[in-house]
Amino acid sequence: MRTYILRRLLQIVPTILMITLVVFVMMRSIPGDPVVALLGDAYNEEDAIKVRAEYGLDKPVLVQYGIWLGKLVQGDWGTSILSGRPVLKDVMIRLPVTLELIVLSMAVALAIAIPAAIIGALRQNTWADYSATSVAMIGVSIPEFFAGVLLLLIFSVGLRGTLPSSGWVYLPGTCPMIVCTGSLWGNMMHVLMPAVALGIGRAALLTRLLRASMLEVIRTEYVTTARAKGLSERPVVLKHALKNALIPTITVMGLQVGFLIGGAIVVETLFAMPGLGTFGIDAIIARDYQQVQGFALITAVAFVVINLLVDLTYTFLDPRIRYA
Amino acid sequence: MRSIRPVLGLLLGTIVLLGGTAARPADAQAPKRGGTLRVAYGNEILGMDFYTTPGYEMVWVATNVGCGLVSITPDGKFFPDAAESWQISSDGLLYTFKLRKNVLFHDGSKVDAAAVKFTFDYVLDPANRANMRQFLGAVHSVEVVDPHTVQIRLKQPYAFMMHVLAVYRMGMIIISPVVTQKYTPEERRAGKPEALVGCGPFKLVEWVKGNHLVMDRFDKYFEQGVPYLDRVVIRTIKDPVTQLAAFKAGEIDFIADFSADHVDSLRAQNPRVQIMTGKETTPMVAMMKVTVPADGKPMSKDRAPHAIFNDIRVRKAVGCYGIDRKEIVKIAYKGQATPWVGIIPPGTMDTVDVNHLCPYDPARAKALLAAAGYGPQKPLVFELMTNTEKSVFNVIATVIKEQMARIGVTANIRLVDKPSWMTTATQDGAFDMYIEDLASLLTVDQNSYLSASAAAWNHSRHVDTKVDDYYARYAREMDPVKRKAIARELQEYSADKLYWNTISGSPFYQVAQPWMKDYVYQAEFKVQYRKVWLDK
Repeated sequence: MRTYILRRLLQIVPTILMITLVVFVMMRSIPGDPVVALLGDAYNEEDAIKVRAEYGLDKPVLVQYGIWLGKLVQGDWGTSILSGRPVLKDVMIRLPVTLELIVLSMAVALAIAIPAAIIGALRQNTWADYSATSVAMIGVSIPEFFAGVLLLLIFSVGLRGTLPSSGWVYLPGTCPMIVCTGSLWGNMMHVLMPAVALGIGRAALLTRLLRASMLEVIRTEYVTTARAKGLSERPVVLKHALKNALIPTITVMGLQVGFLIGGAIVVETLFAMPGLGTFGIDAIIARDYQQVQGFALITAVAFVVINLLVDLTYTFLDPRIRYA
Repeated sequence: MRSIRPVLGLLLGTIVLLGGTAARPADAQAPKRGGTLRVAYGNEILGMDFYTTPGYEMVWVATNVGCGLVSITPDGKFFPDAAESWQISSDGLLYTFKLRKNVLFHDGSKVDAAAVKFTFDYVLDPANRANMRQFLGAVHSVEVVDPHTVQIRLKQPYAFMMHVLAVYRMGMIIISPVVTQKYTPEERRAGKPEALVGCGPFKLVEWVKGNHLVMDRFDKYFEQGVPYLDRVVIRTIKDPVTQLAAFKAGEIDFIADFSADHVDSLRAQNPRVQIMTGKETTPMVAMMKVTVPADGKPMSKDRAPHAIFNDIRVRKAVGCYGIDRKEIVKIAYKGQATPWVGIIPPGTMDTVDVNHLCPYDPARAKALLAAAGYGPQKPLVFELMTNTEKSVFNVIATVIKEQMARIGVTANIRLVDKPSWMTTATQDGAFDMYIEDLASLLTVDQNSYLSASAAAWNHSRHVDTKVDDYYARYAREMDPVKRKAIARELQEYSADKLYWNTISGSPFYQVAQPWMKDYVYQAEFKVQYRKVWLDK
């Protein structure tokens, strides 16, 4: 097991290198120059040349990548070209917001998907199954921004201020700023709508997937054996069937993290949340290369690590699975 | 020497540019002290270095954290800031400012003549790349007369020196010599509070990009009793729907730049809300490129004619007679903007209505195109670049495409993002026409930095030095009546040559909750909370 984890961790290195290199090259291939934005209305060619030299932007792309990488291994993620702020510091301020959003949106998705899938599988081809399937289809069809706007109009405008429309309140003890009020209640109020907006689409997908797995599992011999032993329906479904049916669902959940990060960009922008999604999109729009690299790096690491954790979860769900 | 104040009106003329609706209540109440003002910006603050960071968002912070020698009222009158009085010599070359004795930086050190001189020297040093430097070309030297007297000597008379000091960009904000030398430009840009010590009514407490900016009242501000607010918290809410929702839910007191698209619905749903606007000071342009680099190197001084729009007949056919500005305003702005041809927007000082020079006349446009060799056999096709920053750009581009079709011209729309547009336009990239609303203009003089032939932001890349002569004459003319005449000539000349093709004014809105009191609207130029108070 230890060897497996070590091997997987080592595999992360080339993956991260490849992702950051591709992002690095792509960012420099698209039109737009951060120096123009930096100099603004004081732009002149002479200063632009000096600034490019100062930031090493006049060097070949691969040399620039090498410099960035060299600094990275020393723990220096660089500083934002536009704001002058250290990238790592900003990433660390924003990471908890997005992590919480992603975890809670996945929780929302599972809270909807698991009961809906169980009901759908156990009462196949009944009105309950059709309802669960239909709701799943609706969920898949509603993009995050649309769900977000609807929630916003209902809970912030319609029910005047029931839930806050934007911003963020940190959990107690986690606030990374000077001026800050940590509050569990405030945090929950702020994260609820974004998590639901982001989780609905995932819920729909997971419901369909889990329902199909459940249908397969409840027809297997070990489930029949469990029933024949006289076990009541509850442990049969929850302990024997669901646990095994979850394996493909967990795999997809890991892969969904990528989509959730993409969805977080939309949801965080809509709800004006200070997370990594808005950090990434702002960096791309401003062509702030250092920030884009920081965003690519942290999301790539998060994606790979989460998928490693997903793989390790299999051993818990199915003890027959062993990693060498 | 004579005092400027008695002759201010004579010297500067009547400024009509900021005819906005002030938020002052009719029944004046005694201001209440305390409270936190919650502000929303539509765009992110890019950085915090007053003199190098671009964007209005930083300016709107700088004018609260910093103080200058003088400031300006919405109707164009200068009033003392850190300077208590000033005199201008009769030849217009020497400006003498007497400083107040009780002005302190936020770290407790005194604002004196040495600090003012340091500020000018810092801005004028090319190594510091200060964006205010471009406005100080007339300055010869700055001298300390005594600890509270400073003199600015000019190379030649400059009618807008006081505007530069008070309001061009953000005005000349006085910086602390000690603090500026102690901290790096990166630390200032990153918003480190100790590195951004001003002498304004609010001191910077914290800026966390993407999260918030917090300013607290500076208790030792030189003007007794103000500011009234304890704190100002600024957040960025980019999505207009969320901005509106936050405002309606009472989470926000003030939106510094409100989307014109939502003004009507906000007004209808909340009659008590304060909606502030004025005559437009920002032009919406359909810029046509006139020259291209002859050697293929962007920004080259060796210029060749642009294949399409160097021909004045084509420029006039497309930009003048072929564009129905009234229709554009009706569709894109629901009639809430002014159709405009002149190079200077309708709300700017010394603006002139030259709309009659470019009436919508498709038949005349077709005739001019035919004279230039375009017709059914050789149809004119050009690329119309627009960007994703504001949806109104794309609406205007679509309407222009339709209007072009009416005169037999094909406009192919190319949609890019803001940095791509900015890079293309500013770095002499390839384009035929673009749609954009450019910088807000207080004076005609300000536009010289965008449209003189040698200006970096001369996006059409015209090479007509007659335009430069107009600007130079205008800037040096101290008689407001004669200056207005030069402004008229420039605007008529510009409408005739169409180096700069204005479509309309670009409206600007700010909204405030009914309980936000005594905010004075000054368009994009100044957003100040010095005398704002909350009645709740």
